[in-house]
Amino acid sequence: MSLKSYSRGRAVHVMLVYTGGCNGCDIEIVNCILSPKFDAEQYKVFLTWNPREADVLVVTGPVTKYNEGPLREIYQAIPEPKAVVAAGACALMGGVYKNCHGDIPSEEIAGPVDQIIPVDAKVPGCAVRPQDIVAGLVSALPLLLNAE
Amino acid sequence: MDDNKPNQTVIEAEVPMGTVHPAALEPYRVRLFVEDEIVRDAEITVGVNHRGVERIMEGLPVEKANSLTEKICGICSNSHIWNSCLVGEKALDIEVPERAQYIRIIMEELERLHSHCLYLAHGNEVLGHGTFSMRLFYIRETVMDLLGMIGGNRVQYGASILGGVRPRCELDDNRIQQLKDGMDLMEERLTAFADRFVSDPMIMSRITNVGVISQEDAIRLACTGPTLRATGVKKDLRTEMKEYEPFDFEVITQDGGDVKSQLLVRVFEIPESIKIIRQAIRDLPEGPITNRSWEMKDTPLTKSYIEVPRGTLYHSYALEDGRVRHCVIRTPSMANIGAMQHACIGHHITDAQLSIVQCDPCFTCTDRAIQIIKI
Repeated sequence: MSLKSYSRGRAVHVMLVYTGGCNGCDIEIVNCILSPKFDAEQYKVFLTWNPREADVLVVTGPVTKYNEGPLREIYQAIPEPKAVVAAGACALMGGVYKNCHGDIPSEEIAGPVDQIIPVDAKVPGCAVRPQDIVAGLVSALPLLLNAE
Repeated sequence: MDDNKPNQTVIEAEVPMGTVHPAALEPYRVRLFVEDEIVRDAEITVGVNHRGVERIMEGLPVEKANSLTEKICGICSNSHIWNSCLVGEKALDIEVPERAQYIRIIMEELERLHSHCLYLAHGNEVLGHGTFSMRLFYIRETVMDLLGMIGGNRVQYGASILGGVRPRCELDDNRIQQLKDGMDLMEERLTAFADRFVSDPMIMSRITNVGVISQEDAIRLACTGPTLRATGVKKDLRTEMKEYEPFDFEVITQDGGDVKSQLLVRVFEIPESIKIIRQAIRDLPEGPITNRSWEMKDTPLTKSYIEVPRGTLYHSYALEDGRVRHCVIRTPSMANIGAMQHACIGHHITDAQLSIVQCDPCFTCTDRAIQIIKI
């Protein structure tokens, strides 16, 4: 185990990116990490807003056309090794916004997330439950810790 | 150069923030034009979150369209579905049972509680007071549990349907007892919080006379909701709605128009919501919760206004063959954007984020308009 992965295992930094969801998932994720009830910080998971500091990228929302470029830039700014968690029904498959009328795709939505950046873990739910987010983050951790 | 003035150079610069920024919870773009660290002009650009919900609603069956409006916002989801159902009920002359009205009021006031707690938590986070922020997230969990118990989901609970409320949201004795206990717990914790918040000299000196919106400007910029009430205008749409007629509550106003008044309006509105919920539980009438005897027909454009946690919400649509046409939704944050820009001007650049957050922005709601480039 290298020193870097050792230190990563002691403090995982999560960056949250909103790409046009309804705020439901976003607040549940902030709630899950910050609030005293769920409190992921006691497991040394911290919320950051700086991509160069982050290890895990959590993406919510169907990626709108406007947000496609910023999302790619944020993904490239995160140093290797990194993991991406897509959280919520919109991030997984576009939710109610992507396929608006049967098979006609929406003109506003560029997503879902796995068409833009590679996704390592998927957390379903509308909105995601805080317990599921912790499980999703934990399932993405081996990618960080076992990296060379 | 004029000889009377000292020879100094004034640095003018543009400070862009966004669309993804640490202090902003939602993606939006702010351009601050500063002159020696004093903001001279501000420009907020929305449109990042535009998903075209009104266009998706166009042509959907009215029941589906109602449940889709809930996905506009994850904070005030019940307000959207309630107002959308009110439009349909007004258009189709559906009489809603009294018990359903009361359950809708309980859901709406619970939503106001958690929205105001979230606002205060976010405000305290921007102020740099992490302890109060986490404390408010902790208090908010009580309401989220109650909403999850009634609706089955913590965020999108879908209580209202056309003609009443969903059978899942029926309040039996066990749920009413939990609601009563939850309200007692909320009142105890929030009173303790409010006492400490109001009597804290550090916080009060930080937020007094920052981000001031005068009463004339608030009326001129067409602010709604608590943002308007914080400037001394006693206007609350709840006093004019027939759903709220049986309930006794006070309209809270503050006179300053600064961040302190904005925060205190929300702090003192929370006990009023608890009061309304207690009255609704006490007087909850017996009877059915859904009226299913109604017929679909074509209707002209029908509109409805209600008071939601952030201000006045407007929905309107017409019905053709049971499908929604010409849907228009106007959310309160749209009206308050002018106030957010205005509050930044003339203050220090470090207060800009606080000036924007004080108006309780919800930009996911707001992104309604699209720019038509070619037809």
